[in-house]
Amino acid sequence: MIKYLRSTSEVFRVLFSFWSTSIASELEYQLNLVIEIISVVANLTGSIFILSLFYSPTTNLGGWSWHASLVVLGIYTILDGYTTSFLHPNLSRIVRHVQNGTLDFVLLKPINSQLWLSFRIFSPWGIPSILSGITLVIIGFINSQANFSIKSLLLSILMVLSSFIILYSLWFLIATTSIWFVRVWNANEVLRSTLVAGRYPISAYPESLRRIFTFILPIAFLTTVPAEAILNILSYRIAFLSLILAIAFLFISKRFWMFALKFYTSASS
Amino acid sequence: MIKLSKDLFKYIISWLRVPIALISTQYSLMIEYRAEIILWAISGILPLIMLAIWKEATISERIGLSDDYLTRYFVSAFIVRQFTAVWVMVSFEEDNLEGRLSPYLLQPLMPFWRYFSSHIAEQISRIPIVLIMLLVLNASIPNILWIPSLKTLVIFCCALFSAFCVRFLLHWMFSMICFWSDRVSALERLLLIPYLFLSGLVAPLDTFPTPIRNFANLTPFPYILAFPSNILAEKKIDLISNFTSLFFWAILLFLLSYLFWKRGIRHYSGMGA
Amino acid sequence: MKTIAVDSLSKSYLVTEKKPGIRASLKHFVARKTSFIRAVDNISFNINEGEIVGFIGSNGAGKTTTLKMLCGLIYPSYGSVSVAGYIPKLREKSFLRKITLVMGQKQQLIWDLPPMDSLRVNAAVYGLTDREFSLRIDELASMLGLNTELSRPVRKLSLGQRMKAELLASLLHRPSVLFLDEPTLGLDINAQLRVREFLSAYNQKYGATILLTSHYMGDITSLCKRVLLIDKGKLFHDGSLSALTEQLSPCRFVQIELAEPVNDISLAKYGEIVHQEGQLVKLLIPRSELTSRITSILSNYQIKDLEVKDPPIEQLIGKLLALGSFND
Repeated sequence: MIKYLRSTSEVFRVLFSFWSTSIASELEYQLNLVIEIISVVANLTGSIFILSLFYSPTTNLGGWSWHASLVVLGIYTILDGYTTSFLHPNLSRIVRHVQNGTLDFVLLKPINSQLWLSFRIFSPWGIPSILSGITLVIIGFINSQANFSIKSLLLSILMVLSSFIILYSLWFLIATTSIWFVRVWNANEVLRSTLVAGRYPISAYPESLRRIFTFILPIAFLTTVPAEAILNILSYRIAFLSLILAIAFLFISKRFWMFALKFYTSASS
Repeated sequence: MIKLSKDLFKYIISWLRVPIALISTQYSLMIEYRAEIILWAISGILPLIMLAIWKEATISERIGLSDDYLTRYFVSAFIVRQFTAVWVMVSFEEDNLEGRLSPYLLQPLMPFWRYFSSHIAEQISRIPIVLIMLLVLNASIPNILWIPSLKTLVIFCCALFSAFCVRFLLHWMFSMICFWSDRVSALERLLLIPYLFLSGLVAPLDTFPTPIRNFANLTPFPYILAFPSNILAEKKIDLISNFTSLFFWAILLFLLSYLFWKRGIRHYSGMGA
Repeated sequence: MKTIAVDSLSKSYLVTEKKPGIRASLKHFVARKTSFIRAVDNISFNINEGEIVGFIGSNGAGKTTTLKMLCGLIYPSYGSVSVAGYIPKLREKSFLRKITLVMGQKQQLIWDLPPMDSLRVNAAVYGLTDREFSLRIDELASMLGLNTELSRPVRKLSLGQRMKAELLASLLHRPSVLFLDEPTLGLDINAQLRVREFLSAYNQKYGATILLTSHYMGDITSLCKRVLLIDKGKLFHDGSLSALTEQLSPCRFVQIELAEPVNDISLAKYGEIVHQEGQLVKLLIPRSELTSRITSILSNYQIKDLEVKDPPIEQLIGKLLALGSFND
């Protein structure tokens, strides 16, 4: 365990140096910053506007008050930024590595290849989303008059963390399949477009979809569960389930990567 | 007289040779990419997700829209979105970066037509996929589909194609920015935002507060999606004014993109490829 | 008849500069430093109809920029260009039908389809009839040694086959002026030879004018009687290859094996001694006095063996290209 932690910290030390170079290379594009800020503001305004449409004659959506829904939307926005900063750039790189056959160079490095490949690049363009998402969560939390306690804070952090892990694992699972399929990137688009459903609390959906979003595509655990934790209305049973799910997903993604690598090395030699 | 009509025929054929060759080649390419096209088609399910929420929220009556109309509207929006998918900014950027644009510019054919034909070909290859998806939808939610009249279908197809042209021209115009900046993909995401919120993809425009609806109607987005969807959903709408707006946008965007193209090419040739 | 006429052609670019490091990046983000670079500097030359001319120089010497100006992709900053009687930058359709540009590392064939599909599009674009199309395909394919490859997806073809298909696509409209930028880049020796033979056959058959750049001196020596040497945007040599060799290396390399050892000073008057080991002597003798000095060596010494060599052109120019520049 200690050995594993040490190797992990080593990887992150190397990664930090790479992040600074990737930030440097991103800053080459001044226009991007402007575009990114406009797009975050516009996206947020649009999302809040659409959400307000559901509340204009009524006062709740699937049992969620307006401010409680804002927390869900905030979590969704944070996840969006996390995707832009880490998942999207790194995992699209994996696909390219596999296609160009440069994965070999990565595999020859004396480090954990999954960790390396997953966090090699940091794109600063997700930061505006993450910040505005946090703001939205705080606004929603304060106005919904939920009780604050250290216990709920810890639980919230844990749930957000497990939502990060689940989302990461989903992306990584799809990226791994690029070892067999050439243009796997489009599968990620499917994932991204379905995750849009996470903008709204899960109880706003009809029963059948709710079941799908909980058990097949764990959208419920990505946004609704962390929001419930923040609002201090999460049951321990669900919290426990979320943690189990995160660990299981991480484990599966790791195993699947190992399995795929066996294929990769035996196929390319 | 016979000679004249023969010449005319020959002329038309020679005129059609390029589009036929382009579309048929692009169609075979799209057949190669069928797996991707299926995935793209699936990723267009947003209107159906929104339909689920709108129906579950059971607020439709209070805003004066029938449940039936909402269902038809979102199913139509799903179909319209499928056949107005545009990715020209991505492919133009890629061609520019990989240096394919230079050989295209050295051929006596405006590169515009390559991208346009590839979109048309993709839509043709999408027809069976969308039909299957609709059948699956109908199987899981019985009687969700309806049979529109022939007249509706004809008008719908006209509106759909015009909507596609407007959306394509809009994206083509922004693709021209490739000539000045290497990163157009960020801009494409930006362009997607007003499309998402103002076109009627996530909510019918009737649910919008009046000032916002009026604002949306000043942009091209509602004509790209909500207008054809409403035709297919058999809602009573003012066809003439909507078509006029579509054509106005088509002409405006055509002129603007032509201007941008000319300037872009001059810049490209000034800076080097 | 002049097919290509270039007069005091120049091209400058505006480029931004940035130092490495994150601080410099931030600074660069706010305020950019720009400067002008002269990619092509006052070049003039003419090329006659049917000539094959080699265009050589180190990386970044300005070869590709010049080629792109000749076919109209880049506008000149100064000077004039005329190709086949047209001004390239106008890119008139009738001009485009006369020329072609082949870039070795850039593909115009559609990657996931057989070359035949891309060829069909090209035929339609250039307005060929079906008959012309199939005749030309047959002809060019047999010249290139292609057949079933044309109906296999491009991604399944080898690099050499792909390059040949690329050439076929670029020549389908039978251009009379060919601009080739590294047409043999990355190809193995056999494929290189094949491409060379094809280009020379095409040139002879249609009297086409060819201007090509290549990193492989073999392409230049076997195809081009005339070469243009460009460095840092300036034209340094325009003429035959042998004249270039002479200019680059005014001496010849003479190796003598003596019958009996001699005192080294006695031979030094004939030329610069590069190497001497026992009875083996290597000398550099100026070209102009080569015959007279060899005659005198032969009459003064007992010679077992004598060999006169040119320093190979590949080596000379390769050295020159490796140095990047030869005038400083």
